[in-house]
This record gives sequence, C-alpha cells and structure tokens, in this order.
Amino acid sequence: MGMQSDFYQLLKGQGYVFGVLGQAARGQELTTATTILAFKYRDGVLVAGDRRATAGNMVMYDRTDKVLEIDRHSVMAIAGVPATAYEMARILEHSFKYFRRTQLQELSFEGKLRALSKLLKDNVPAALAGTGAVVPIFAGYDFEQEAAKIYFYDILGAEFEGVDYAVSGSGSPTIRGILHYVNTWGEQPLSAMLEEQATVQALRLLTSAAEFDSATGGVNREAGLYPVIKFITASGVRTMPDAQLKPLFEAKVSRHV
Amino acid sequence: MYEEPYKWVEAVGNRRTYLDEQFKEGAPVVGVTCERGILLMTMSKGTPKLYEIYDRLALGGMGHPADLEKLRFNLLEMAHVEGFNRSASDVTGGRLVKYGMAPAIKQAFEEVFKAPFIVKILLAELGQKAGKDGFLTINYDGTFEEKSQYAVLAATSAVEQKMAGYLREQSLASLADAVGAAIRTWAVGDQAQRRALDEGEGHDEARTSPDQLATDTETLYAYLRRCIAEKTVECALLDRHVQGPSKYRALGVDELKTLLPNELSPSLS
Repeated sequence: MGMQSDFYQLLKGQGYVFGVLGQAARGQELTTATTILAFKYRDGVLVAGDRRATAGNMVMYDRTDKVLEIDRHSVMAIAGVPATAYEMARILEHSFKYFRRTQLQELSFEGKLRALSKLLKDNVPAALAGTGAVVPIFAGYDFEQEAAKIYFYDILGAEFEGVDYAVSGSGSPTIRGILHYVNTWGEQPLSAMLEEQATVQALRLLTSAAEFDSATGGVNREAGLYPVIKFITASGVRTMPDAQLKPLFEAKVSRHV
Repeated sequence: MYEEPYKWVEAVGNRRTYLDEQFKEGAPVVGVTCERGILLMTMSKGTPKLYEIYDRLALGGMGHPADLEKLRFNLLEMAHVEGFNRSASDVTGGRLVKYGMAPAIKQAFEEVFKAPFIVKILLAELGQKAGKDGFLTINYDGTFEEKSQYAVLAATSAVEQKMAGYLREQSLASLADAVGAAIRTWAVGDQAQRRALDEGEGHDEARTSPDQLATDTETLYAYLRRCIAEKTVECALLDRHVQGPSKYRALGVDELKTLLPNELSPSLS
C-alpha cells in the first residue's frame, strides 16, 4: 500500500531535492553560525547557542536562533550554514509531526536521530563542495530510556552520544576544554547542577567562546541580546526567557569579565 | 448499461440508498467551540474516530474504517506538503476540503462502476483568535457545509438536526460545559439512531416523532451510562492554551473524569 509514514520520502516522491551539489564561487563568503553546546544537568539537558551569524569577517546578523525546537521533546542546535540547517530543521519538524499524525504514536528517539543522520548523509556533496556544511547537536527526551540525551554529528552523518556534554561550531574548541575541566575537577559534575547553576555555566561558557572566537557573539546588554538557552525534561522543551537571563548574567557572569 | 442518463441517475439514487444503510449503526460525532478551543467527541468500539490532521486541524469521522483511513492519509499528505512548501498558515480547512477532499469524494460517489467512500467527515479548525474557530462537514457525496460554534455528524440529516437543536440550547462557555453538552448531544443522536433502527421505520423516524425521544438530562445520563460501559469515550481538544504550534491533544481518562458531569464520571474506567 502507498500509505507511508516517511515525510522525507514523500517529499522526494514529489520531486523535492535536498543537498544539491554546488560549488562555492571564488571569493564568495558563505554565512555560517558558530558556538553551540549541550550538557546534562540535574533535571535533564540544557542546550545553548550564541546569536551571531557571520560571512567571513562580516557579522551578518546578531539575532540568529541556533537552538531550534523540532517538536515538544527535541531540539536541534546548529553550527554551519544556516540556510541548509534551517531546511534540515523544517524537514525534521514536518517529518516528526507527519509520523505522529499518520502512525498515531511518537517517532522513537532513535528514529529521530536516524532522520537527522539521513539528511546529513544526503547533504554530503553540498558539504564537501563548501556550500552547505552543517554540524549539529541533537538533544531530546528518550521516553524508552526515560532520560534526556545528547548526540552530536559529523558532516557525513555519523552520530555520537555526548554522555555528559557536546559542543560544536568555531568557538567549540575553547569551551570543550572548560567543560572537561569543570565536569572533572569542578565543585560538582555538570549532571549535579541545578537549573540556575547550569544556566550560569552556559552563559559563562558562551562568553568565553566569544572572547576567543570572533565568529561567536557574546552578550550585548545595550541591545538586550542574550544567548538562547533551552531545557529538555520529560515534560518537554522550555526556553529560559531573557528577563531571567539578564539578572543572572549581571550577578554571576558580568563581574567576572 | 449506464450510458443512458436516467439509468445513471437511477444508479446514483441506488448508491444513496446503499450508503444511507451503511451509516445506520455508526456513532455520531459532535464538535463544539468553547473558550479553551474546539472539542470533538464521539464513542467508539476499538477503532478511533478522532484524529490530528495539522497544527490547528482535527478530524472526526463516521463510516468504514478503511475509507476513513485512506482519506485521513490524503488529508495528512496534502496538509504537510503544503505546510512544508508554503507555511502552516496556508494550511486551512477550507482549502483542504474545497480543493482537495470534497472533489475526490464526489468523484468517487458519481463513478458508479467503482466503490464510493463510505464516510462522513467533520473537520475542525482552531482560528488564530477566539471567535474565528470553524467546522467543515463533508457528506458521502462530496457536499460540504461550513459552520461555526458547533457541528455534528450522524446517520441522517434528521438526526443531525435533532442534535443541533439540542446543542443550540446548551451553554458552551467552559471546557467542562463543552464536554457535558457534547456527550449529551451525542446521546440525543445515538438514541435517535437506535430508535430508528429498532423500529425499522427508516431515517425520518426521529423527525416525525420527536416526543418519543426524551431529551431530559436524567434520561440522557442513564442512556450514556449504558453506552460508556460498552464503548470508549473519545474526546480530543484543539487547545488554544497549548504551547507550540501543534494544538491537538486527546483528553485522557483522568482528565475526562474531572470534566464529565458528576452523574457520568464514576462510570468511566
């Protein structure tokens, strides 16, 4: 029977093509987006990202949302070419909804991971040609395992579990070392942190990344621009509002920089 | 044999008689708007009859499960491809029904060499603002109607009118009001269909002898208690208070117990 549950296949059947091979024009700087991170804290997983998108030396945009809610229990954080990443997010969002509505059950967490892997694999030609590389982090609540989980990918589509944390983007080498240090020798491991402690940690990490990576945007208090921070627990995805980030930043982050 | 026009008309007429027969034992469906959103309600045995279609669209159906399933998939496919290619705001009940579903059902109904769809469909659409909610109903021959406030599906138009008449008198302010009104309206419809079946007097029975069917609350609750013991109460809500784009959620037993009238909630297990 032709009743399929795979929205991506359905799109392909209608002539949709994803990951078109193209060559970046000489001298043409593509827009990219930078530091994203995720780590496990006491109640689930925190996912955060700065807001800057750059093209070479040019700051294209300082309000980019790189932490995208795919459904009520999953988030994809993006590093790389936003055009391709947003397209992937749109395909995933529709794929998960379509599966739930046709099959009358949620797609499993493993199925969601696999869906992103397939998109990355189809995108390999564009990634290698230099027009569409995306290196995402996918985090979500796995109801079979009853735990929030983190996965990160390479541009070929291989998925790796971030047992405690995962980072991606041009600012990630800076914070990867910090995360390892904090998690191993800090006062408490990341997984023991309360929500507020985890939020402060994320703000400090992204501020550190911005310090050493020009393609990562820091906090811009004059413009009221703060990173995007989301929490994933069994009850779903929740965004920390700027109104709560502001006092935390001023009390626990700004005095240290 | 159908080349001659009058024979085609006769064949279509036979088809109507055949289809009317198919719905006699079907469970009615009730859709009502309230402050919280849109509530759909029915009772089923096994196969569910209420479904999520898109972010703000829900479907209730009567008829053959396989036909309903086929049309449900068609709707899902149309809605999701359109939502992906354009935007969620472009996926409207009106477009799906008028340019997609209704023509396909009409064509199947009139192609007398092929099997028709044995379905009646109620599509509920949650508006961007309260007061903009709406319903579309499609009959087995492809005719559709747009409604606001409430809409019902039943075996015959006479039963539907009776249900709508009852519903018009009910308060639909809160979600609990809506659940109570919907389940009593369902009982009005189901009772009328049962009576028509029992007496074997055809579809007009409910209209011709309205006095024979008690619609006082106590009688309806007694009838509903018997139905609840045999069937599953299905309630789904397009909830305007839900965070995120997808507004559909099925009401579980625990929540239903708190929303059903006190006379009925103990019967629910």
